[in-house]
Parts: sequence; structure tokens; C-alpha cells
Amino acid sequence: MRQPRRVAVTSPQTRVALAGRRSGTPAAPPHLAPADAERARRIHDRQLRYALTALALLGALLLGLPLVLAGLPALDTMRLAGIPVSWLAVAVLPFPLMALLAGWQLRKAERVERSWPAARRVLR
Amino acid sequence: MAGRAAGAAVILAIVPVLLVTLLIGARGVAAMRTTSDFLVASRRISPTVNAAAVSGEYLSAASFLGIAGLVVKDGVGSLWYAVGFAAGYVAMLALVAAPMRRTGALTVPDFAEARLGSPALRKLSAVVVLVIGCLYLVPQFTAAGQVLGVVSGSPYWVGVVIAGAAVSVTLALGGMRAATYVQAFQFVLKLALFIVPAIWLVLQVSPDTRRDALTPVEFSRFEAATPVQFRLDTTLTLTEPTPVRVGGGAQEVLAPGEYHAEAGQTWEFATGAAVPHVGAGPPGGPNWARPLLDPAGHPLLATWSVLVATVLGTMGLPHILIRFHTSPDGRGARRTAAITVALLGVFYLFPAVYGLLGAVLLPELYLSGGTDTVVVALPARVDDGFAGTLFTALLTAGAFAAFLATSLGLLLAVSGALSHDLVPSTLRRLRFTPLVAALAVVLLALPAARLDVGVLVTSAFAVAASTFCPLLVLGIWWPRLTARGAIVGMTTGLLASAGVIGIDLFLGVPPGLAGILLGQPALWSVPLAFATMVLVSLRGRPPAWAAAAMLRLHLDETETGRR
Repeated sequence: MRQPRRVAVTSPQTRVALAGRRSGTPAAPPHLAPADAERARRIHDRQLRYALTALALLGALLLGLPLVLAGLPALDTMRLAGIPVSWLAVAVLPFPLMALLAGWQLRKAERVERSWPAARRVLR
Repeated sequence: MAGRAAGAAVILAIVPVLLVTLLIGARGVAAMRTTSDFLVASRRISPTVNAAAVSGEYLSAASFLGIAGLVVKDGVGSLWYAVGFAAGYVAMLALVAAPMRRTGALTVPDFAEARLGSPALRKLSAVVVLVIGCLYLVPQFTAAGQVLGVVSGSPYWVGVVIAGAAVSVTLALGGMRAATYVQAFQFVLKLALFIVPAIWLVLQVSPDTRRDALTPVEFSRFEAATPVQFRLDTTLTLTEPTPVRVGGGAQEVLAPGEYHAEAGQTWEFATGAAVPHVGAGPPGGPNWARPLLDPAGHPLLATWSVLVATVLGTMGLPHILIRFHTSPDGRGARRTAAITVALLGVFYLFPAVYGLLGAVLLPELYLSGGTDTVVVALPARVDDGFAGTLFTALLTAGAFAAFLATSLGLLLAVSGALSHDLVPSTLRRLRFTPLVAALAVVLLALPAARLDVGVLVTSAFAVAASTFCPLLVLGIWWPRLTARGAIVGMTTGLLASAGVIGIDLFLGVPPGLAGILLGQPALWSVPLAFATMVLVSLRGRPPAWAAAAMLRLHLDETETGRR
């Protein structure tokens, strides 16, 4: 078969974790060079902010929508193309909104990573 | 329900699913060399294929059959389950996907040890994997037995044994490389097998039925003589004298009051008879049509707790987490999660179609306790000719694909926990652990035929949300988490969620507010687990390397020597 020799494609972190497992001893305690640690800290803070924003939006959607439906029973009798609006609000509306939210979060998270290019290779 | 022809068609539909599954599984064998190969397919899989595989793995019997069944039984509010199931991936994307992948750990127990360096925590995580795996696997196998029983009349145990055999052989032959392609294939298959029959059903039913589906009327009178075969022991409340033939006997008129129907018994209600009451109200009533979950008079609370359990539980499902490790890097894992949200969104538009049509055409399922089979029972009701049989067969094949796909991933996670974490082993042992695990689940599923399937699947989400979700979220974002905090917090979450589920299973759910809090504990057990983890951690001191262990999870690999 044309199968090439298979090599595990791993990041340095993966190799650390795997080395510890294979030798049966715990991996060496992780260590970051000061410059990398600083960069990681900035990325962490920014990513956390976007993650919490995305979660807050998701929470507003998922906790708020039932609240609206409970507070406005009139939506049950209002119809769009013959279907009660309150049913559409559960069965259809959340899915495109969540897909958009996921796309937004993905773009933000990748931009954060691009905006702090590593000065040097990060080694343990 | 369906005739012998339907039975034959169903066999014809399921056999190809099994064969292709085995074939793709067998193709993976040639390339398998190391434990890493077996578990994560050497991480060669693109985000789109991986997202399809995640979706394929995730769309279990609960999604394919359960949501539509719950709509018939409990009302339109049950569609919130679908929303929660998809929303889980938004939380996954934002909080865990990329950093989790960068730990380099293969399983959740690996993550626990890599981040916190505690072998005890690793063992505890492996135990939690086993608990979640069993709570999730048993209903899959139970559902397989039921659906086969309904469409072809085969005994319950035949379906359970067939499912167990197919799944474990595939895993033992091909491992996860097989599972990834099998899952991706099955997602496409399930999507097609779910959407095409739904469109056919909508076009096939009369305009009156379509109108009735959108303007529900309470199911209060039988419009034709209707036989109801009870799947479970059921207590019925008759509100007026009701003409009925019990077990094929002569017709008698039962006085109002409480009656007991045994599992397997058939009652044939006469035309125009009043529909007896069973538990919640019958489909089509005003409460049924409200788009909120309302088991006990607290619709907001009930809806929210289901959403909390499903959204946060998804993040902690071990068979889904392990799948993100098949991405080549953190960025791939994140893209996988984002694409998954979109793929699932397409699928989850359709359970509503089956649920609403089922409430109009098969409302009697609410009496028999067979609402889970509404999806496969609908085509025969709409068309008793060739087309109806064909679509029954297609939907059954899709449902069977759903059991297979989810069970594959779950068995892998369970056998990984057993042989990887609880007992260290070589590849050879790992290959055969799935067989043992599958056998154990089959044995558990055989007596579980009469257990309420919905309770178990939701419980698995609640346990995952109360244990792995706080471990992962705090482990990834909070440097001060200590191993002791994680152990105490996870134990608390496990005892709270699994303990409550034990109460439900063995003592029954109490009525009212307590019923919501005990029946769906996530609303309080997740904050409890988080709070315990944080408080115990604050009392201790994390090791000096903890901050580095956390921060490195947020460094992208692109410049860090990816080979």
C-alpha cells in the first residue's frame, strides 16, 4: 500500500504529556520562558474576555427567550405563515443565531492568536 | 404495527448500515500501530470531517427519536432539548475546545493529570467517565431493542444483542480511526434519513392534517377504534364510562376511576370513547401547545434547568471531548466546534416536524408509553403502501445508525477509561476492552427495557455538567485551581447529581418544585460543584508551576514547533 510510515503529529505540549506517560514517571513540571509566559497571559486575558462575552450572549439568548415566551403569551396566537410565532422562536430562531455567535467567537479567538505572534519558539 | 413486508424491508435497511460500518471500520485496521493511533487516528482529520464526526457521534437516539417523542408526550416545549443540545457546542467552542486539545492529553482523565498532576484525580475522572458512559449507553441499547420490536416484531433482546455485537466488533477491528470515518459517514446518512422522510411526510399528509398540526386540539376522544399496547405498567384515570376491550376480550364499559394496565397488555378503545388521563395532560391541550417545559407548574425553572444541563453537560461528555483530540491542533479543534454548531442546527430543525405530525396522527402513543417510536411509526400511518414501508425502513436505518454512532464513541471512552486510566495496558488489551464493555452494557440493558429512557439520557448530561464541566472550565481558565479542590468539587458534583438520579430511579420523582429540583438537578448541582471547587482551592495553594501549566494551554501551536 502507498501508506507512508505513520508519525504522530504533536505539539511540544503533547510530547511532554506523552513522554511522561510512556516512561511511567510524571512529566517534568511545565515551564514557560518569561517572554512566552507574558504573551500567554495576554492571550489568556483577551480570550477569556471574548469567551465570557460569547457565553453571556448565549445565556441571554437561552435564558431570555423562555422569559419572553413566558411573559408574552400573545406570541402563541400570533402567526407567521400559519405557524405560531412562539413555536418558531423555539424550533427555528435559536439555531441561526447560535451559528452566527459561534462564527463570531471563532473569528475573535483566531484574531487574538494572530495579534500576538511569538517572538521565539516556545519550548518547555 | 407494520406487516411482515415492513419487517423484511427493515432488515434490508439495517443490514447495509451494519455492513458499511464494518467495512469502514475494517479499512482502518491496516494502519493501526500504537495506542495513539488507536485512540486518536494520529490526528490527521480536517475540521469539517471532524465536525461531521462529532455531530454523527452526538446525534444519538435521544436526538433522532427522543425529541420528537417528547414533543408528542410533553408538548412543544420539549424542543428546548434540541436547542440545548446544539448550544452546548457554542459553550464548548468558547471555553474548552482549543485549550483542551493543547493539553496533549488523550482523555479527560489525562487532562486532569496533565493540568493538576494528581493520579488520584485521574482515577476519579475515570470513574466519572464510567458513570456517564453507562447512563448514556444503556438507553441507546434499550432504544435499539424497542425500535426493532415496534417495526418488525422481533423480541427486545434481539435488537440489543445485534447493536452490541456490531458496535464492539467495529471498535475492536478499527479503533477510532474507523470511528471517525464511520461517524462522519453516519452523520451524512442520518441527516439524509431524517430530512427526506420529514419532507415526504409533510407533502404526503392531507392539508387538514397540516392545519391540525399547527392549530392543536386536545386529544380527548378516540376518532376511531384504537388499540393501545402498553409498553410499561401504566395507571389510567377514566373520567367517564368508557367502552373498551381489554386484552382482546369482549367489550365492556368501565366506570370512571383509576385502572391499572400491565406492560404488554392491549386495550382497544371504542370510537368516541373519552381518552383516559396518564400523568401529564394529553397532546394538543393548551398547556401542551405552550413552548415551555412544564412538568410541575414552574415552566421557566423547568426550561432553564434542562438548558443548563444540556449546554454545560455537552462540554463534559467524555466521548465528545476525546473526539476533539483528532484535530491536528487547538485551532482545528476550535474550528471543529464552530462547524458542529452549524451542522447540528440543520438537523435540529426537523424533530419538530415529526413531533407535531405525531401529535395529530399518533396521539395514542402518549397512552401506551411508546412515544419514543413516533418517528418510525409515522410513515406507516400516513401511507400503508410501498412508500410507507420504504420510509419506515429508511427511518429505522437512520435510528439504528444513531444508536451505532453514539455507542461507538461511548464504548471507546469507557474502554479508554478502563484500560488506559484505571488499569494501564498495552494496545492489545485496549483492543479487547470494548468487547467486555459492550457485553456489560448489553447485560445492563436487557433488564432495563421498562426503565424510562429519557430519565437516563438527561441524567448523563446532568452528571457531566456537575463534574467535568467545572473541572475543565476552572482548569483551563483559573490558575489557582488545586488538585484537592478539583477532587472535592467533582466528588460533590457526582454525589449530588448521581445521588439524586438514584432517588428518582428507585424512589420516584416527588411532585411540585421538589420534582423539578430532583428530576433535573443541574440548576443547583452545577453551581454547587463550581462553588466547592473554588472554595476548597482558595483554602489551598497551587504548586508553583500551576500558572505555567494553565497558560501554555492558551499558546497557539502554529509557531511552537508543529511538525
